[in-house]
Amino acid sequence: MAYVVTENCIMCKHTDCVSVCPVDCFYEGENMLVIDPDECIDCALCEPECPVDAIVADTVPDVEDWLNLNTELVTLWPVITEQIDAPEDAESWKGITNKLQYLSRKPGLGTQ
Amino acid sequence: MKSEVALENVNFASDQEIRWCPGCGDFAILAQMKKFLSKQGIAPENIAFISGIGCSSRFPYYLETYGMHSIHGRAPAIATGLKRMRPDLQVWVVTGDGDALSIGCGHLLHALRRNTDIKILLFNNRIYGLTKGQFSPTSSPGLITGSTPNGTVHKPLHPLNLALAANSTFVARAVDTNAKQLTETLRRAAQHHGSVLVEIYQNCHIYNDGTFDHAKNNKIKADHVVELKHGEPLIFGANADQGIRLNGVDLEVVQLGFEYREADLLVHDEQAESPAVAQMLAAMSYPHMPEAVGVFRSVRQPTHNELMPDENPTHASRQKRISELLLGSEPWTVS
Repeated sequence: MAYVVTENCIMCKHTDCVSVCPVDCFYEGENMLVIDPDECIDCALCEPECPVDAIVADTVPDVEDWLNLNTELVTLWPVITEQIDAPEDAESWKGITNKLQYLSRKPGLGTQ
Repeated sequence: MKSEVALENVNFASDQEIRWCPGCGDFAILAQMKKFLSKQGIAPENIAFISGIGCSSRFPYYLETYGMHSIHGRAPAIATGLKRMRPDLQVWVVTGDGDALSIGCGHLLHALRRNTDIKILLFNNRIYGLTKGQFSPTSSPGLITGSTPNGTVHKPLHPLNLALAANSTFVARAVDTNAKQLTETLRRAAQHHGSVLVEIYQNCHIYNDGTFDHAKNNKIKADHVVELKHGEPLIFGANADQGIRLNGVDLEVVQLGFEYREADLLVHDEQAESPAVAQMLAAMSYPHMPEAVGVFRSVRQPTHNELMPDENPTHASRQKRISELLLGSEPWTVS
């Protein structure tokens, strides 16, 4: 089992989740974060932290595609262990649907 | 007997809702245990987890093996009995710093002394978590808690020193969030024949957050943790330039490269018959010394069951023997 970052994160990327994760299993892309399902310990701390409710348990219905995306993208992106500022236009992207088309597969900076 | 293929990747998660606080270090330990068990190749019905009381002791509910949530401090005694009657089972004990070192201290010492073939995992969060934040036998001096408003005053117990004093034949320390090292330690513990004590540094982020920061925070831990590797010198530090050597009868930290070289350092020997050096390694404490993780001692000695072979293995023979003992002749005369 694991937790999964889903669509609401894209373009919002608040990173509040990163500050509570006890095992540093978040990985940073240009405009989204993902969780490594192998490293996630299911402690459930991140889920209520996200201001836009982007994180769900992998037991909710219809989450397989997002789980696969998280699994794939952690191999491409660097780990992020500290919270950073959200993008300036994060508020304007809140609640927008069909954001998957805007997902950038480019890695973020990660935490040095 | 099931084939090996059928035993691979068995899902050891139970259907129980997990009651630990979100963020608890116990989640990390459970995650690594499930992964390890799924690869071990032993069927779930041949494994038992016995626990005492505490947050640690909820562990058996969350694994699809046999388990017992027993009484406070008594898990080692119950596990000793189980292993005696069912030597075919792989028996684990899950306990905490309160359960094992306060009320359970006596049972712990003798289970280890007897070299019973049980694997004791001691989740040390240095606090009484389940009862909401009283100090424990391992709490750091000066800790302010609900029961010590002016701070704790006594020196803490070190569980590994107790284990070595009781001649435990496998003694190790791991950290809850260091997944690789924890899994490797569990693997070695599982394979050991004889008494096992693994102290696992576990973070209770509600009542004692950050107590092991020196061993978990990636920015600083290289300077405060030394990894024990059998046959290798003790070297640590962000630049791998600090070492530990024996100076007379004390351990001391030295800088490498000037006065001292690798050849001057203590070489770790897990298999030393005498636990004396292991005792010193186990006593190293932050901030004065780096803390050691890995396997301190791993020796093979006759186990409890090997020392006392069962002379009455059948139910019928046990019934007869008990009757004889209870109702048999008196061994003394009154004159």
